Parts: sequence; structure tokens; C-alpha cells
Amino acid sequence: MNRVFVTGMGIISAIGNSVAENHLALKEGKSGISKNLNLFPTKYASLLPFAQVGISTNELSSKLKIIEKGVTRTSMLALHAFNEAVEDAGLSGSIISAHDTALIGASTVGGMCLTDELYEDANKCEQGSDYTQSYDCASVCLFLQQRYKMSGIINTINTACSSAANAIMYGAMLIKNGFADRAIVGGADSLAKFTINGFNALHILSPETCTPFDENRKGLNLGEGAAFLVLEKDAAEKKIYAELTGYCNANDAYHPSSLSEQGDGPFFSMQGALQSAGLAAADINFINAHGTGTENNDEVESRAMIRLFNNPPDFASSKANVGHTLGAAGAVEAVFSILSLYYQELYANLYYNKAIPSTGLVPVQVYKKMPVQHVMSNSFGFGGNCSSLIFSKA
Amino acid sequence: MMYIQHFNCISPQHNVLNNDLDLLNDASEKKMQANEPVYESIPPGVLRRMGKAIRMGVGAALPICKAPALLNGILIGTANGGMEDCIKFLNQMVQYEEGLLAPGNFVQSTNNAIAGQLGLLTENKKYNITHVSRGLAFENALTDAMMQLKENPAGCYLLGGVDELSTYNYNIEKLAGAYKEEVVSIKNLYTTDSPGCIAGEGASMFVVNNDAANAIAKVEAVTTLHSNNLNEVKDKLKIFIEENLCDDDKIDLFLSGENGDNRDLKYYTACESLLNSNTTVGRFKHLCGEYPTASAFALWLCCILLQKQNIPHHIIKKKTTEKKLKNVLLYNNYKGYQHGFMLIKSCR
Amino acid sequence: METAELKLQLKKQIVEFLNLIQVKPEDIKDDEPLFGEGLGLDSIDSIELIVLLGREYGINIQDPKEGRKILVDINTMVAYIEQHRTK
Repeated sequence: MNRVFVTGMGIISAIGNSVAENHLALKEGKSGISKNLNLFPTKYASLLPFAQVGISTNELSSKLKIIEKGVTRTSMLALHAFNEAVEDAGLSGSIISAHDTALIGASTVGGMCLTDELYEDANKCEQGSDYTQSYDCASVCLFLQQRYKMSGIINTINTACSSAANAIMYGAMLIKNGFADRAIVGGADSLAKFTINGFNALHILSPETCTPFDENRKGLNLGEGAAFLVLEKDAAEKKIYAELTGYCNANDAYHPSSLSEQGDGPFFSMQGALQSAGLAAADINFINAHGTGTENNDEVESRAMIRLFNNPPDFASSKANVGHTLGAAGAVEAVFSILSLYYQELYANLYYNKAIPSTGLVPVQVYKKMPVQHVMSNSFGFGGNCSSLIFSKA
Repeated sequence: MMYIQHFNCISPQHNVLNNDLDLLNDASEKKMQANEPVYESIPPGVLRRMGKAIRMGVGAALPICKAPALLNGILIGTANGGMEDCIKFLNQMVQYEEGLLAPGNFVQSTNNAIAGQLGLLTENKKYNITHVSRGLAFENALTDAMMQLKENPAGCYLLGGVDELSTYNYNIEKLAGAYKEEVVSIKNLYTTDSPGCIAGEGASMFVVNNDAANAIAKVEAVTTLHSNNLNEVKDKLKIFIEENLCDDDKIDLFLSGENGDNRDLKYYTACESLLNSNTTVGRFKHLCGEYPTASAFALWLCCILLQKQNIPHHIIKKKTTEKKLKNVLLYNNYKGYQHGFMLIKSCR
Repeated sequence: METAELKLQLKKQIVEFLNLIQVKPEDIKDDEPLFGEGLGLDSIDSIELIVLLGREYGINIQDPKEGRKILVDINTMVAYIEQHRTK
């Protein structure tokens, strides 16, 4: 089976509009979380903190020269990151539109960032908005497909918060199985009144900036962003960021919206990723944890790490930097994991203060240089959906 | 490629094999709604919270998951997932002005709630994935299943396609001009020369593996295309047939996704024109209506036809003298832009 | 409202709000545990019941953990409602 290399990356998040900006912000331990959401009217705009991308939808639209009708913020964030990734990998227009180039995206919000418009279109039968074909999650990839006249396999995955990790995995499988020579994979989600109210109804939004893996964590902060990777089987003479060596998806099969105490899903996804990479637990130098900052996730993830690694390696969550970007999270964090490999450094898990008593695990607290050969990245979502990816130094 | 061992479906019909068109369920209020069974296999404590898509998906899958623990994964294609729950939550938000909201609808509204619930109910802790690529969500899930079986040849997977028709997505699609303005009976679906189709819904489920011995059908290959260019679609089909069918073999049945929408008809007739004169042409959208994962219904229908070696009159568009049904080509397009082809072979 | 009357009203509201198909309001015993054994509700239901208390009785419970102490059975819920209802 073919090997899978990462040859290009693109990202836009609350801490920067490019890979370089995100890299700098991570090194400096910056957080993009604040209480001044101004994308749409919601009563939580100044009550709860969010990680908003620093460009307005109008600015994005003119920057990206959007002339198509019904393009949502989610699609624009996706295009922004996609453009950076393909340029970084040096993919020409004709390569992007070739039959052997696949596009696998992920989203959980899709065009539902236009919550109020969706409400109108779904409930009234008079006159449709420009967005009737833009609400679903597939609309994001279909927009990219049309922009770049792509003719290979086009797919979108939605497994809630693990969506982008699964999109990366699916792209890798297409390459391994000969369905594509390269795959542009990633995810995008923007902040939406819908998800804000949904997570708030579940009482898992933190009233302050989240504190992953801290004893007194109070929940997660929602964020937005997009990230794409270019995966290629043949990367000779190209800049190679990393090799995707392992992946696994497993199901916790316990509860629709929370993880089991013993963390079977996280345990099996991490274990399966090691098996698929042919690595031992001790080979992993760093775990980019899902670490949302909710009571349930952080404790269960910690327990699963202890169960598998016994004495877990360095680990950290970047959720206090960029918030929980939901369908984009797996791709955003794949970029961060690859930056750790590429620059041989680890970034701090912000706002951690005291270990969770039952696990005693302490995340990376300050930026540090160190040799990194293999990084594991975790993403867990509703429906018990758990995915782990392993990136290795090429 | 892979083999279909078990298959099941919840669709607007009771019995698609009925030769008498009058005995089929017709559209009502311009919709073809699923004829939902009493869900005996779903525990009431779980059923109470399920929206229609989840109910249909789980309800269609459980009867064929004989030994669920043996499944190596659950792969679902659905464009919209729990659309009804999604808008119900939205309506709560508006009604209570972002105040005190019940989270049940929100949790059930994620697209992966069908696969997630199936994992929960069958205690399956393996691969669990949801493809949502609109009109090709099922084709992508099917491609995934083929890859899983290549990486794990002894494996066995549950594969399905599910989409519901709620008032809300009906309204949205209606605003987008997807449906016919006039009331049309399924009897006249293919002869009404007007834009739009009839809305439908359903859930189709398959247990697939690499075991030819007891299989009903073999899915030989699948391919997809995004284009509204007629020549590109024809080229895609030509190459697909060349690559997957031996020279001395032929397509016995071309099962076409024709949906009565005069805007999409040209793609179907163009593909039809490429086939051997001895190929029977059949249609299925009068049975299930139009929805993004209707091709999963077509695959289910294909399994039935191969099993019974008999094609009901109402399905046939063009008849041939050929008796034996061996190779079936499924072609479906969604809104004239997302095209999917599947080649299915009989195992009997 | 009489306590007995309130109990039946609450049972009806619970059955409707949680869509407890196959459960008749009058069959729920006053001391039957709502969670685990008994009615078999889960953590999402507990949040939904807090929403019910808010919407029907004007009771504002911020912390779901606090809610768990109130949402033991019909008796505990009714006792709390009688003391704290604002509508």
C-alpha cells in the first residue's frame, strides 16, 4: 500500500490567518478567546467567551473575491485555508482539478452559521433566501469543488467533533487504496447561534476561558476556523512536513453526548492508531489531546491515556488557544501536531493550574524544544466517535 | 468490490414486487413518505428520543444485524441526518429567545446520530463513520466499505443510506425549486414534462463482506462525478464500463434514477444511449421519491430483483427479450450535478 | 393546588416532555427512581427535566449537579416545586 505524506498545510483560526501566524501564536502561548462575539446577534455575545476568527465575513468575501451566490462564512474560511494549503504544496490548477486529486472535507455546522436565515427558509414557504442550497455540511466542499473544477472523489464527513480527523483518515485510505494520488483533506466550521445554544443547553460551555486538564475546569469554549492538509503518495523532491503513519476510529458506544468512565472509545482509537502505524506506546513523544476542558472529556481522556501508556508522554490541548472548532478541530490540531514535528518543539497547554485528582496528569505547561519523532492527535465527538491520528517525522 | 449478504429497507412502499401499479403507495400531498413499521427491535426507552431519520436507519439496520458484535464497522451515508430535530431545536431557540432550551433535539440533530445510535444499541466499538456528501453520501460510504474490506479482508460491515423528509427540508427544497408545482401521481411521474420531482425518503441497509459463497449480489465497482457537462458524464460511464466489464459481458439491466424532472432527464437518456440494445432499462424513483441517498434504495431494489430474477412491469422503461438478470448498472444523479454509477453482479 | 393533583400534573408533563412512549402518567409511582432503575432516564433527560421545571414552574436551576438532588423521584420534585415555584 502507498505511503502518505503531508506536503502542504493551510489554516485560519482565532490565533492567526495563516500557518505562520498560528505557529507564532502557539510559540508565544497566545489565546484567541474573548467575550466580544460580533458575527451575528445572540444574547451570549458578551456573556460567554468565544474564539472568533479575526476577519469579518465581508472582508473574507472581498479578499477571496467571492462572486458566487449563497456562499457562507464556513465555506469562506474553508477556501481561505484550502488556498494556503494548495499553494504551500505547489499544486497547480490542473493538478487540483485532475481525476486523481480527491477533496475530503469535514463540517458539523456547514451553512447553519446562518441560523436565522435557515429558520426563515425552513418555516416559511414564501420566498427563499440565497442560501437554500448552502445549509448542509456538503455545501462547503461542493463550493471548493466548483471553485477549482475538481473532478476526483469529493466527500464530506460529519462525525461531530472528530469529523476532520476522519476526513484526514479517509483521504489517506483513498491514497493507500489507489483511489487517488493526492487528497486535500481538512475541515471547517464557523461559530453559529445553533451550536452556541446547543452546547449551552448541555451545560458544557465555560463562562470563562477554558482550562483543559485543570482540576477546576468549567467547560469548553466554542471556536471557529478551517484547516486543510495536502496528502500525497509521491512526494519526491517536495517539501515534506510529515508522514501520516497511523490512524484509527473507534466507538465508545456508551452515551449520545458523553464518554464512558473507562474511556473505551478513546482507548481503542489510540491503541488502533498505534497498531496501524506499527508503533509501540513508548514510541509516541507527544499527544495532542482532544482536551476540550469539559469535566467529562478531560478526565476520561486522561484515564484512557494512562490505560494505554501507563506513564503517558508529554501531552497538551490547544483548545485554550483556538477554542473548540468542532468539525475543523481534527484538522486544526493536525496542523499544530505537524508543526511540533517539523520544528521539534511543543506548545503550552494554557491556563492549566492543578492536576485532576483522580488522574494526576500534568500537561505541557511551557513552550519547549525537544526531539519529536511521532505525534498522536486525538479527536472525540458526540455519538461516541473517537479518532486518533499519528504523524511521524519524515 | 464486495458482497452483499443481507439487505433491508424502509421505503414508501409495502411491496415493490407487486406487478400492479395500483397496489403501490402513491404520493400524498406531493410527498412520498416512508411506510414506517412498528419498530419492535428498538427499545422504547431509546425510540422515544429518535427523530425519523434515526428511527428509520436504526429500524432498517437492526433486523439484519444478526450478530452485531461481529460487525467490524458501521458506515452510513446521509445528506441531512436528523433535519427535523435540527429545526425543532432552532424553533425552540427562537420561541424561548435563546433561553432555557431542551438539548435532546440538538444531540439528535448531528448527522452521525444514526451511526452513533446503531453503535450504542449493538454495543459496537469499532469503526463508525458518517458520510454526508449530499447526493453522493451513499456512494462515498460504499467506497469506504470497499476500502475497509481491502484493509481487513475477513471483516464484515454494516453499510446504509438514510434520509428523512421533514416539513422543514421539504420547505427549503421547495423554495429552491426542487419539487413539481403540480400534483403528480407516481403513475405519471415519468411522462409529466415539467421541472421538479416528487420528494421522498427512506433507509436502506446492507451487511457486506468478502464472502462470495452465500452472497446475494456483488458490488463490482462504484464511481462518482461532479459535473453538469453531458459529455463528461458520458465519458465517465464509458470508462467505467470499459474498466469493469469484460468484452464478452453485457449490462442486463440499466437501473436509472430518472425522477420526472425534465431538467435532469438529459443525463439519464444520454447514459441510456450508450448501452447495448439488449439492455433492459428500468426506473425506481416512482417507488421511493427523490432524496439525496435514493441510490441506496436502488441498490436494495437491485438485490431484490437479482434474488427474484423478475422485474415488475412498473419498473421497466424499455423491455428486451433477455431473461437472465446478471449484471445491473445503477446510475443516479442528484440535481443534475452529482453523478454516481454502481455495477452490481448476481452471485447466483 | 393539592399535592396529589400537582403530582399527577407533573407526571403528565414528564411523560409528554420526554416523550415516554409506553409509559402512562398514572403508572409512575411517587417514590420510583427517575434515573437508573425505575424510569431509566439518563443525563440528557436530567437536563430536559430542569428545562421543564424552568418553563412550567419558573424554577431556575443553574447547576445540573444541583438538579440531580431534586430529580430523585416524583416526591422530591414535587416537594421542591411546592417550595420554589414562581408560577
